[in-house]
Amino acid sequence: MSALEGLREAHHKLEPAAVIDALDRVLATWRAPASVWRTKLQHEHGIYSSQVLELGTAEALRDWTGEALRRMRARELREPCRVPPVTAVWLAGSIPSAAFHAILLPLVAGSAVYVKPSSQDPLSARLFAESLRAQDPTLGAAVVVGNDPTLLESADAVVAHGADETIAAIRARVPPQRVFVGHGHKLSLAAVGPAVEIDTAAQAVAIDIALYDGRGCLSPAYVGVVDRPAGRAAAFGRALADELEQLASKLPRGPLLTSEEAALHEMRARAAVREGVRLELPEHGSEWTVILEPAGSRPAPGWLRCLPLVPLFDACELEDWCRRLAPHLSSLGHMGWGRQELLSAVQLGGGSRACTLGRMHFPPIDWNHDGISPIRSLLRLIDAESP
Amino acid sequence: MSRRDLDRKVLAWLGEGVDAPRDDTRFETLALELFAYQYAHNPAYQRLCRAFRVRPEDVARWQDIPAVPTGAFKEARLAAFPEAQEVRIFRTSGSTTAARGQLHLDTLELYQASLLATFAAYICPDRKRIRFVVLAPSAANAPDSSLSYMFEVACRELGSARSAFYVEPQGWEPERLIADLRELDEPIALVGTAFAFVHLLDALEARGLRLGLPDGTRVMETGGFKGRSREVTRGELHGAITAALGVSASRIVNQYGLCELGSQFYEPTLRTGVPTRSKRVPPWVRTRVVDPVSMKDVATGERGLLVHYDLVNTGSVLAVQTSDLGRVTQAGLEILGRLEAAETRGCSIAADALLAGP
Repeated sequence: MSALEGLREAHHKLEPAAVIDALDRVLATWRAPASVWRTKLQHEHGIYSSQVLELGTAEALRDWTGEALRRMRARELREPCRVPPVTAVWLAGSIPSAAFHAILLPLVAGSAVYVKPSSQDPLSARLFAESLRAQDPTLGAAVVVGNDPTLLESADAVVAHGADETIAAIRARVPPQRVFVGHGHKLSLAAVGPAVEIDTAAQAVAIDIALYDGRGCLSPAYVGVVDRPAGRAAAFGRALADELEQLASKLPRGPLLTSEEAALHEMRARAAVREGVRLELPEHGSEWTVILEPAGSRPAPGWLRCLPLVPLFDACELEDWCRRLAPHLSSLGHMGWGRQELLSAVQLGGGSRACTLGRMHFPPIDWNHDGISPIRSLLRLIDAESP
Repeated sequence: MSRRDLDRKVLAWLGEGVDAPRDDTRFETLALELFAYQYAHNPAYQRLCRAFRVRPEDVARWQDIPAVPTGAFKEARLAAFPEAQEVRIFRTSGSTTAARGQLHLDTLELYQASLLATFAAYICPDRKRIRFVVLAPSAANAPDSSLSYMFEVACRELGSARSAFYVEPQGWEPERLIADLRELDEPIALVGTAFAFVHLLDALEARGLRLGLPDGTRVMETGGFKGRSREVTRGELHGAITAALGVSASRIVNQYGLCELGSQFYEPTLRTGVPTRSKRVPPWVRTRVVDPVSMKDVATGERGLLVHYDLVNTGSVLAVQTSDLGRVTQAGLEILGRLEAAETRGCSIAADALLAGP
């Protein structure tokens, strides 16, 4: 039996309430204090430190309960619809909870899942599928991990994550009448408004920077800080440096590839030679870097805990920044701004989420990733008109 | 020490030629003096040194002089003199990125002396003048190309009256070139970029031609294939040159240079008669091979990232960190490719092209 046939058969056996109960039990095993799954993930993942994986996974999954899944299903499947029997999920990146989320959503809808893991992180999808099988064989049979591109043509729906070019290439393979959901290149921005203490904001931003080492689309690629009174951004930079230094031992950065280390070295040097730039660096090594930019500069996005800090004059300048990031803005992490200012900035950047600093990596399970509804986007709605 | 004194000392060394003895003490003394000068007079370089907490008074060995990655030449004017004194700017080709690295010069005297010393020694060791056939634009047509400048100077100082450039602003001229090559009655120095040679070989193949260039002809190719639609290995290129032009491997030289450096590195093939992949490091240059992570020297003969210390760079920075991989052995410097660009191991966008710039 082919993977597709097996998944179609497994789909027929999925009963929504039972799926959610099983997922609830599986997620509980992941959240458990001495979870064997978290332990395996930390030992085998390879890109992040075990401390980063521990905090990132535990916090992300904290509110992923059966009750939250039931609420999401009720909200998303409130009309007559067709659920795709098999959804192909093409993963990208290296963040475990993002892989879990992508697998879990079609299951909640009642769709079986063929998942192609990311080449950078083949572990997360495999471990999550294993945990499903261990808890509930029926649910486990509804998830197959593999690398067969023909599924892009034969699955009933396709959800793809990756670079814009990858998304375009995958989209071209999906037959026109099939459901296709693409999540392309994104980046996020942390914005510190006028109405917050800089120490509080620095503490929160440091967590967002340290988690997943700036590799995720929810990681801040820039930090914008309102620089009024003048010097506030520089003071924030120093406070952020202190926080990052502390996190260097509490949440150490994962090992870097040689090419990444060299890229980081060059990124710092390129910043250092520019006029008006001030660097905050650790005494030794490259664990973190804060690049305090002069007003009006347009630096390249940060990465690997090496972040440009941009002074902002006001909310209008924040809007300008977001406009420049359009359509690639994902999330805007914030503190000290008014709600209307934030929504306007997110809208201008083509973003889909405003969240408090320190929580950038932890969207709720039912968040509209890239502005796309989590489950409804997979469905074909049916209009049953009255006679 | 004044810039004039530094230039005079470096020029004296260049005047001794490529066979001058390797003098480490002389190099260290001059390098440290030059570092102190550049720290004091090159504001962008001083910013880098201060950011990494290095001052001249703390540096006792040339190896500890902070090196500037080539990428930083795209970000700032790395010059130890005022803009008003600028006589030339050489720019990197910039074929794959929007920003281009720049080498600012307030004098061409050292640059010229260095290139002539090495060019004469490694391309024209057996004759005072030779006819140059240049597969590159002239300096007039490419004023910011250091390669075109080098060929221009070589033609002027070492070339015969019939030397010519075969790449015009509107493109190269295969018909004129092939016609001239077929009618040669004297040995030539056929010099140009590796990719220009690929074009020449393709043009010959398309016409079903194989040439036998006169005895004594030598070929010098340089540069890589970054950003080009087609790549061939150096071995394949040299083999194809031998097959199509009748120039033996012992008369083909690869040159390695960077826009950001005043000096170049050549294979000594024409001097020794033996083909080699190792290049000679001029006496006034030192090359460190470092681990890209620790930035510490690797053991002799091991592969690593190349950092060059070139005394000819008096007006910019003498220590330049490349993205090139190589190793240094008794035979010289071997280039082993480039460090691969880091790809994002995550889902965030790695898009400095998207956002960098004004």
